[in-house]
Amino acid sequence: SGALLEGTQVKDVIIKPDAPSTLLLEKHADYIAAYGSKKDDYEYTLSEYLRMSGIYWGLTVMDLMGQLPRMNQQEIIDFIKACQHECGGISASIGHDPHLLYTLSAVQILCLYDSIDAIDVDKVVEYVKGLQQEDGSFAGDKWGEIDTRFSFCAVATLALLGKMDTINVDKAVEFVLSCMNFDGGFGCRPGSESHAGQIYCCTGFLSLTGQLHQLNADLLGWWLCERQLPSGGLNGRPEKLPDVCYSWWVLASLKIIGRIRWIDKDKLRKFILACQDEETGGFADRPGDMVDPFHTLFGVAGLSLLGDEQIKPVNPVLCMPEDVLQRIGLQPDLLS
Amino acid sequence: MAESEEEVDVLVQRVVKDIANAFKKNPSIDEIGVILCPEARYNRSPIVLVENKLGVESWCVKFLLPYVHNKLLLYRQRKHWLDREALVDITCTLLLLNPDFTTAWNVRKELLQCGVLNPEKDLYLGKLALTKFPKSPETWIHRRWVLQQVLNQVSTLDHNKNQQQAEAVQADAERNEQLSDRLARTLRQEMKVCSDAAGRYPSNYNAWSHRIWVLQHMARGNVKVLHDELSSMRVWVSMHVSDHSGFHYRQFLLKELIAEICKRPAHTSTSCSPQRGCSTVPEGSPCPHSCSHSNGEPSGQEAGGEEDSHADFTTVLQLFHQEMDLCSDLIQSFPGHETLWSHRRHVFYLWDQWVREHQHSCSRGSDCKLIHLTDPDPGVPEISSQSCAGQGHGVNGQKHASEPMEVDGLFLPDPHNSKRLKRGVLLPCPPTLPTELSFVSSVLGGCCNTEQRHFALAYRKWLDTVIGLQS
Repeated sequence: SGALLEGTQVKDVIIKPDAPSTLLLEKHADYIAAYGSKKDDYEYTLSEYLRMSGIYWGLTVMDLMGQLPRMNQQEIIDFIKACQHECGGISASIGHDPHLLYTLSAVQILCLYDSIDAIDVDKVVEYVKGLQQEDGSFAGDKWGEIDTRFSFCAVATLALLGKMDTINVDKAVEFVLSCMNFDGGFGCRPGSESHAGQIYCCTGFLSLTGQLHQLNADLLGWWLCERQLPSGGLNGRPEKLPDVCYSWWVLASLKIIGRIRWIDKDKLRKFILACQDEETGGFADRPGDMVDPFHTLFGVAGLSLLGDEQIKPVNPVLCMPEDVLQRIGLQPDLLS
Repeated sequence: MAESEEEVDVLVQRVVKDIANAFKKNPSIDEIGVILCPEARYNRSPIVLVENKLGVESWCVKFLLPYVHNKLLLYRQRKHWLDREALVDITCTLLLLNPDFTTAWNVRKELLQCGVLNPEKDLYLGKLALTKFPKSPETWIHRRWVLQQVLNQVSTLDHNKNQQQAEAVQADAERNEQLSDRLARTLRQEMKVCSDAAGRYPSNYNAWSHRIWVLQHMARGNVKVLHDELSSMRVWVSMHVSDHSGFHYRQFLLKELIAEICKRPAHTSTSCSPQRGCSTVPEGSPCPHSCSHSNGEPSGQEAGGEEDSHADFTTVLQLFHQEMDLCSDLIQSFPGHETLWSHRRHVFYLWDQWVREHQHSCSRGSDCKLIHLTDPDPGVPEISSQSCAGQGHGVNGQKHASEPMEVDGLFLPDPHNSKRLKRGVLLPCPPTLPTELSFVSSVLGGCCNTEQRHFALAYRKWLDTVIGLQS
């Protein structure tokens, strides 16, 4: 069968023989350490709306590589303090509006630094609690958008703060389960298409609330495994291109439901390694593309889940180093 | 080129004004974009309006964006005052360049709440932003908020109406009509915005999940809208066989339609059948005034439950049959598409569930035979969906989805059906596990496309495990 077969519509990448095949840890640490310092006005402006998450990505990957001390702890903690609002919620950056997404990122960062008391924790808890709706779902902020991602953000924040009992967990679970689809996956709202990112949030949510038995793990595992393409990379939905971040979301979900052995780990490892930039350091979504801190975290975290011993073990539910969670005393459930 | 701070200041203020003026000059701008142009040209505004397209020359974006961005943040921190008009202009420029800047949309929400902006204006701005950034999550999120405001307005007015008495009936009727028109128009416009965004970016999750939200909130239970969507999507998916989100939307429509067919009372089904075409006004909780068809009148038709079961069964069977047919055609015409095989799984699963729920004591293998019992003359051409759906909607006021239908009633020949049969009409054979397995075999036989084989085998495995193990 030659190259002209109709099979060419398969959406995948070809990994070149000269693609990186070893982990370039030092380069990645240098890349992240330098990232914040050279701010082009325009680029910085474009992504400021998610700054807090950007900092979480950078710090977490540094911690996983054992390089956290290279980052400016005091500056970051001061920044987070300045982002907490009267309502208790935390914003992506100074002058932006508070949101659950950035509230979770901020709490994760403070856990990495063991400095949770830098902010008003009680107010954070009040903020999260106040966003729960009657049907158990969570709004992302006071304007009311509903999404299973926000259910995850809410319980992850509260779990890290040890305050899960402040919300109606049963109702919250009921809502997330109402977003489950026939393929075992989850979408953003009831009736929405299954999506690897949403599945990660929902399995993580069920882990943190002790409800993993509600999943159809075999069916979901099946769907997740079908995300692996011939290149070894994973996509987030059928007929989408493979991507390092989806590789993390799918892999972490498989780990949570105890089905990680169902995929070809060696091929996935090869794909992730091929997404490194040998010159600049960092990982891109796919081999040859531009690198960024987001894909760098998920590349390194993915390799950690695949058992790479140069990297600290990562927790699949919270995407944080296991040693940090041990210090807090948080051990989310995993299926075996 | 402008470099000093004051020069940038002057330049940017001019550009923001130019953009605002372009919208005043041409209120029907329908697309935005960046014109690749690394350097400024003398005495020319970087804002270019050609017909209905608004372009910004690329050289100025790197000055423009940080400037308006910082202006708005200073305002948000109460360090810099901006009047309402300036806020409207600045957020407009900002969001056309960077539509995921959540806080800028929030500023507009506040302007909308105090009446400076109206919903239509913001829906329009969002629509434009989506022409350049069709995925932008924050733009879709803002749209849902604006639409919710429109729905709230309508239901508030409706509530007021109920409290007033007869003296204002006439005025009410007119206002109601206006509101209904407005909702119907908004619904059509949203569908168009979703289609455009879906066309600009394949498997656009945000566009398709927004479309589902719109149906759930603005057309809940509206069978006419569901039918229209299903038929217009047929052409679209046939031209986008890799678009998993588009196919998922079809699955959603199918599921909703079936749920509606099984639960609605008799006269509603009649008035909303696709042939008659009921009002295009969305029905459902946010706009109770528009539901005059679906409740209120007493149903005098107590009898005929079995007929209805049969008629509903026929309609549902037709829907599934057509969908499986479409899917088979596409799988054979476009081999090797995972999306199509995934669609097949979902549709067959829905059908299988429906059969289980509605004829639990009937053995699966005999479905086909029972249907054929009602068909004394095999070999005649199948009826079209239209004639079937048209007759199918019966006269039952009692049935609900949760009530299992009587198994025997389902398969007894009924008067409608015999009439149809006399005209040479045949019910299609429902898909079953054996027919699906034989479809797989027919695909595998003589197939040399590796991917197609792979997906066909995966489907067979899925049938064996997921469906087979349930039986």
